[in-house]
Amino acid sequence: MMIELKNIEKYYANKGVKSYILRHVTTSIKQGEFVSIMGPSGAGKSTLLNILGMLEEPTYGEYHFMGEDITAMNERKRIELYRNHIGFVFQAYHLIDEMTVAENIEAPLLYKKIPGAERKSRIADVLDRFNMVAKKDLFPNQLSGGQQQLVGIARALVAQPSIILADEPTGNLQSAQAEQIMDLFKKLNKEENITILQVTHSEKNALYGNRMLTIEDGVVKEDVQIK
Amino acid sequence: MFKLNLKIALRNLFKNKVYTAINIGGLAIGLTAFVLLLLFVNHEANYDKWNPELDKVYQIRERHDFFTPDNKQNWQEVNESRIGALLQQKIPQFKYITKVDNSWGDGFALKVDHSDPIIVSNVNDADSLFFKVFPYHFIYGDRMTALSRPNAIVIKQSIAHRLFGTDKVLGKQIRVMMWRSDKGSLMTVTGVVAEPETAQSHEFNAIIHSGDREKDPEHVDNSNYCKIYALAHEVLDTLAMNKILQQVYVDFKKASFVKRKINYNDFYKNGKTPGLKAVQLKMVHSSPSYGSNWLTQIKPIIALCIFLLLISIINFVNLATAQSVQRAKEVGVKKVLGAYKKQLVLQFMFEAAIQSIIALFMATILVEMFLPTFNHHFGLELSFWYNKQLSAMVWQLLGLLLLITLLSGFYPAMVLSRYNPVSVLKGNYETGFRGIALRNGLVVLQFVIAVTFIIGIGIMYQQTNYLRHKDLGYDKSRLMNIRSNYEESFVQRIKRIPGVKYVATTTQVMGNTFNVPEEIIYDHQEFNVNTVTVTMETLPALGVRVLKGRMFSPAYKQDTVNTVILNQAAANLLGKNVVGKMYDVRDSKKKHTFQIVGIIKDYHNEGFDKAVLPTVYKVTRLGGTSSTNNLLVRFEHDKNETAVKAIEAEWKKSYPDFPIKYAFAEESFEKEMQSTNRLMQMVLLFSAISVVLSLLGLFALSAFMAKRRTKEIAIRKILGASDLQIVNMLNRSFLILVLIANLISWPIAYIFTNNWLAGFAYRINVPIWPFVIATIISVGIALLTVSLQTRKAAVNNPVDALKYE
Ligand SMILES: Nc1ncnc2c1ncn2[C@@H]1O[C@H](COP(=O)(O)OP(=O)(O)OP(=O)(O)O)[C@@H](O)[C@H]1O
Ligand SMILES: [Mg+2]
Repeated sequence: MMIELKNIEKYYANKGVKSYILRHVTTSIKQGEFVSIMGPSGAGKSTLLNILGMLEEPTYGEYHFMGEDITAMNERKRIELYRNHIGFVFQAYHLIDEMTVAENIEAPLLYKKIPGAERKSRIADVLDRFNMVAKKDLFPNQLSGGQQQLVGIARALVAQPSIILADEPTGNLQSAQAEQIMDLFKKLNKEENITILQVTHSEKNALYGNRMLTIEDGVVKEDVQIK
Repeated sequence: MFKLNLKIALRNLFKNKVYTAINIGGLAIGLTAFVLLLLFVNHEANYDKWNPELDKVYQIRERHDFFTPDNKQNWQEVNESRIGALLQQKIPQFKYITKVDNSWGDGFALKVDHSDPIIVSNVNDADSLFFKVFPYHFIYGDRMTALSRPNAIVIKQSIAHRLFGTDKVLGKQIRVMMWRSDKGSLMTVTGVVAEPETAQSHEFNAIIHSGDREKDPEHVDNSNYCKIYALAHEVLDTLAMNKILQQVYVDFKKASFVKRKINYNDFYKNGKTPGLKAVQLKMVHSSPSYGSNWLTQIKPIIALCIFLLLISIINFVNLATAQSVQRAKEVGVKKVLGAYKKQLVLQFMFEAAIQSIIALFMATILVEMFLPTFNHHFGLELSFWYNKQLSAMVWQLLGLLLLITLLSGFYPAMVLSRYNPVSVLKGNYETGFRGIALRNGLVVLQFVIAVTFIIGIGIMYQQTNYLRHKDLGYDKSRLMNIRSNYEESFVQRIKRIPGVKYVATTTQVMGNTFNVPEEIIYDHQEFNVNTVTVTMETLPALGVRVLKGRMFSPAYKQDTVNTVILNQAAANLLGKNVVGKMYDVRDSKKKHTFQIVGIIKDYHNEGFDKAVLPTVYKVTRLGGTSSTNNLLVRFEHDKNETAVKAIEAEWKKSYPDFPIKYAFAEESFEKEMQSTNRLMQMVLLFSAISVVLSLLGLFALSAFMAKRRTKEIAIRKILGASDLQIVNMLNRSFLILVLIANLISWPIAYIFTNNWLAGFAYRINVPIWPFVIATIISVGIALLTVSLQTRKAAVNNPVDALKYE
């Protein structure tokens, strides 16, 4: 089991009043699944994804990642998970402006302490796969939005994670570019057995995956397999 | 990783060119001041440390009240010469004891063959043991025997070059004239010594050995003063040694008083006590007999340098934390990619280090550029690259670099690395925008320093102005002081030169004052006064004013017998209606009676930090006289070049072997004012720089603020705010900070300037207007700077700003 959530709750206390964002979320995600999280705005999708990515802590509940208890995990261990297992893709891309395309892709490898030669070959590899070789020395602001998101995905992939967490990865993109990204996710999921978790508003994007979680008012309303 | 971090750092520096320039430039200026200070401190702290043997050398100091500027007892570097023999006899711990003359006056005339004589300062007569105590390196000659025969001279290498044009001068002869009519004695060069690596407290250009220093005066009533140094067998426990010295000295004084028929208890009364001690040579420079040592003197300058460095570091911290908005995303992303916090801290520290290194590099260039000016201004000979302590300096600078990097980089690095990735990646920079309180605090601190400086300048300016225009009590224009004793025939000859009005002598004139303390008995009471020996024309020559009674005049026979004139300070001391009254002075055997015939207005003969002493002026020889090489010449007109030429010619005729030396009273006055002026100039320079740096910092900071709020500004404009309203809104926060800074700096500046003024015997009350002006200036300039920035943001088309989102 890749991810196991048991009774996850998240609330913010404001002037003594607890406002719940997530309640009683219990679910599990297996290695190799492609899950789309859907729901209305403000439902708590991003919050859930952030908890899964250990960027936020749940106020209550149990969370096991690859069998390990996250709540009892120290900072160092969590960073190890980032380095080796988790790749993030953001709606706003979040590339580092001062780094070129190649350098952005290289960054996670540096933290993984991968030797120079291997780094080079891996970067060359992904650049080739994403058709970005010609753009490797450009800075993010010299790329289109779709291209920037491709770099964002390349950066997430290059460290060979076991799971990719993507919060509205195509939210800022046109439908043609969105399709390209979704195709890529599907391919990665199929061919490399990478677990993918994406938040999306689009039914069409959700259909690329094989499971759909619908959240409303912080509660999991629907959990359907797509065939 | 390192390479990538370096690249990112450089890209960031280039991207924010203006801020980078302000950061690095500011640091470079702060560092320059600091390096100059470091050079000076190293120079001062290394006095007498050129040979490890010197650890065993001690200077002997006797407690007495001769030759003191304040007529009070003091631990003096010049001792009675008999103490040399005394120590020889009584203190076996000392291996050698040497006696050497202090440098009096301007120096001796040295003459080689038939060339013109030149005046060389610091030529000292020493006994034969001088070089046994001081292990100078002899380039030529033998250290142990150089002074073993009379009429030997050992010169520094530089003097050899000046006199002969070469240093191979062993066995050559030099005629040494000690005063103007001295026929001179022929001395043989027995040694040429190298200049040691560090400065020396007993500085000499030449040591002569006439043989006179070997003996003490024959009659017990006569004494002779010189410096005494001792070389011990080993490093001594100074405290224990000083107890022994004190005992030996008291016994010696008692025995001597018996011979001189002086009552010991009578002599040491009114707080006077006997005293003799040894001071380790390397401590001599830092513990001068009078006044404060160099460290105390440069304390204000050290403070200025630290403040300047602080201001540049504050700029650095402020701009770095302000910039952190730009870097927040980088931090957030790197964290989710798996960066440790430590790695991020190191990365940002590294960026600070790069800037510090560039700043240090620029600072060394600036130091090289400004060192000549600095040296000239302070009469120093410091060098950077040729500094003998360069290697030590390099370590100090590396330490400084580390310190600056830590100070300027640590906080921003902590702020940056602490960003929470979620809030940053949500695009919510505001909550991630930390350090506002600290930054505001730092802006306030910066302005406190700048405003205090501005107030300081105002008050220092006011005080120097006051002193410059203060009535000196005498007329310093058209007054020349020749370094010469009063010799009647020479005086008569220069009196005949057209344009010369008075020729006179005194022991008390600005630039060369010699105080002789005396106890007088007036109206059955004892008073301590200062006595000055003058000639008939002295008081008119100085142009002092008579308040009561009369001046000296040849018309009164009595004036050469027993009359005196008091200054006002002395008259106030004695009481009312003193003119015409008598007072007594008890000599060891007799009693002399003097009549007071006049009172003159106090006149200043020393810096304004000292009050005018109660002084008695007399022409008569009754009660002893003294002379100090002052020959005053008062000219009729301002145009006196021809008269000066004529005096020079007259001198040359009378004393062909001794060059004339003179100064005009106005120059001496400028010299007295110099220390105040120097500090003033330093403060002025530092203040100007610190104000500019603070404003540059504020400028950059406000630019960031405006940029950060572009969206807010755009929205407000769409909602109908005017440009002026927006500028006002942005200005308000800075305005409050600057006002707070002003409030804080007022009392600080008041305390500092009051303290500084307390060092002057004559001073102004702290005026209010520098405070007001400082506030107006700081608020005005800050508003202007911020407005310039915010206006740019405010007048932009709001659409441009919103399009980015
Ligand atoms: N720091 C916070 N304090 C209080 N409430 C918060 C905080 N962060 C998020 N929320 C609330 O949590 C709820 C869920 O937010 P979340 O970002 O998870 O929604 P979402 O489902 O991702 O919506 P969207 O589709 O618009 O992105 C929202 O109602 C939001 O107001
Ligand atoms: Mg969301």
